[in-house]
Amino acid sequence: MANLGRKRIMLALLAMLLTGLPYLADRLAMPDLVSLGTQIAIYAIAAIGLDLLIGYTGLSSFGHAGFFGLGGYVVGILAFHAAEGTAFVGLVPGATEAWVAWPAAILVSALAALAIGALSLRTSGVSFIMITLAFAQMLFYLFVSLKTYGGDDGLGFRRRNGLPWINPRDDVAFYYVCLLVLMIVLALCHRLVRSRFGLVLLGIKQNERRMAAIGLDATRYKLAAFTLAGAIAGLAGALQANLLRFVSPDMLHWTTSGDFMVMVVLGGVGSLVGPVFGAAAMVLLQSWLAQWTEHWMIVMGPVLVAVILLTRRGIWGALGGRG
Amino acid sequence: MIPLLEVSALTKRYGGLLACNDFALSVMPGSLHALIGPNGAGKSTAIGLLSGEIVPDLGHIRLDGADITKIAMPARVKQGLTRSFQITSVLPHFTALENVAIVAQIRAGHSFRCWGDARRDRDLTDPARAMLDRVGLGARAMTRAEDLAHGEQRQLELAMALMTGARMLLLDEPMAGLGQTESQDMTALLAALKGSVTILLVEHDMDAVEALADRVSVMVAGHVIAEGSFAEMRADPAVRAAYLGEAA
Repeated sequence: MANLGRKRIMLALLAMLLTGLPYLADRLAMPDLVSLGTQIAIYAIAAIGLDLLIGYTGLSSFGHAGFFGLGGYVVGILAFHAAEGTAFVGLVPGATEAWVAWPAAILVSALAALAIGALSLRTSGVSFIMITLAFAQMLFYLFVSLKTYGGDDGLGFRRRNGLPWINPRDDVAFYYVCLLVLMIVLALCHRLVRSRFGLVLLGIKQNERRMAAIGLDATRYKLAAFTLAGAIAGLAGALQANLLRFVSPDMLHWTTSGDFMVMVVLGGVGSLVGPVFGAAAMVLLQSWLAQWTEHWMIVMGPVLVAVILLTRRGIWGALGGRG
Repeated sequence: MIPLLEVSALTKRYGGLLACNDFALSVMPGSLHALIGPNGAGKSTAIGLLSGEIVPDLGHIRLDGADITKIAMPARVKQGLTRSFQITSVLPHFTALENVAIVAQIRAGHSFRCWGDARRDRDLTDPARAMLDRVGLGARAMTRAEDLAHGEQRQLELAMALMTGARMLLLDEPMAGLGQTESQDMTALLAALKGSVTILLVEHDMDAVEALADRVSVMVAGHVIAEGSFAEMRADPAVRAAYLGEAA
């Protein structure tokens, strides 16, 4: 129970820090903090989705970046066609409004996850890791080969998606949008993992054979979780495209999938809040170390090993949180 | 009266090994039917085939007259056929109560409800508590399954199987790994269940089989070689030869 109190305090501190970040950046004269904070929030959203799979369902998907990148490209391609005044495959007109582009990104990523999940979930264990990786790489090469949308070089666009009452050029406003989305995703997932659906996922993670023996057709639930995680990654990808006003195949690269996995493991598997810390640690370490060397992974690697060996449940576990 | 579980000509081959060879069995409703046999006779394969975990090469399985041979395990559970495991199989990080409540949840239908705290859903926890009381685990409801003693885990496993609402239980060595007093407790528990649910019991503990079984089938090399009361089986020369084998 003491743990619970400590957990609440840590959460309150985190919320205060994130909410006050733009003020802090202003006072410290470090304007970069806002874009770093935005990047943390976006990665955290994607990593929370992945934690639903790794930490709650026992599915180690190595293709999460595929859905992240897909969501980003939906925003980028819609913006491209809006600027050109053309239509995607001659049918879908472009869009620059967030209320069109973001749900479209979520939907496309969810549908892709549904299809990829339906095939991948026929396997398990290492095969599942490899097949999700393979599908994400297929998406990667698909976008590399789409010269219309920039191919290798990626696709830039001029303005962020329009939101009511918000100036698209205002970086602080966009930070708060991302923070709000993060809070909503976190709250919904928090409810989800405690629901009947969430308990079934936890049961599947612990002993899938046992779940079948008490009458559960696990595949449907795993597919639902995989689709949901894909949708969340798509939303994060849409935000990422807006942050940079640029999308490129790098978003779908397998190393991005690896980064998401690292964030989940570093922050604390199966805790939902952990990935927020994982994303923060990853982004901050990267930006700090990259000032010294481009081989920042040389330091990041040992840090990851140390955290895994020294803490039982990542950063969040070490800070006193559980579950 | 038709048998609740009727198995005919069931065959499963693994390469050159006939794990189940023209296996036939009829279990009458309300009875406790024991399936015994020396190690390697194919009893666990038989349970796997009956529960739907293993697909047979040949043969038919009927539950209450309906052919269920082609139906997958989760669907068989919904029709009232549930197995337990020889090696204890529970959800280790869940409490005893959660282990049973999740069975109640799955029995209640689909589990796509994403709202509300399922651990506080009394529609699930009340029947789960009652079931834990029934198997004598009521006092351990809030203990994590992995922290339960081995005997308690076996009781929990039984509670989970019962909570599915099974008409027909396939119990794969429920006494496995139990000490003498724990075995006696489990025997008493199964004796109390007798009549309310039909049971096919695979067991090596002959004291338990003698105390519990209405009928006994003896399986050797994938095939039922004899069937009758426990006393008849003990007297049967073929059964004695199979058990004592080379020693005789």
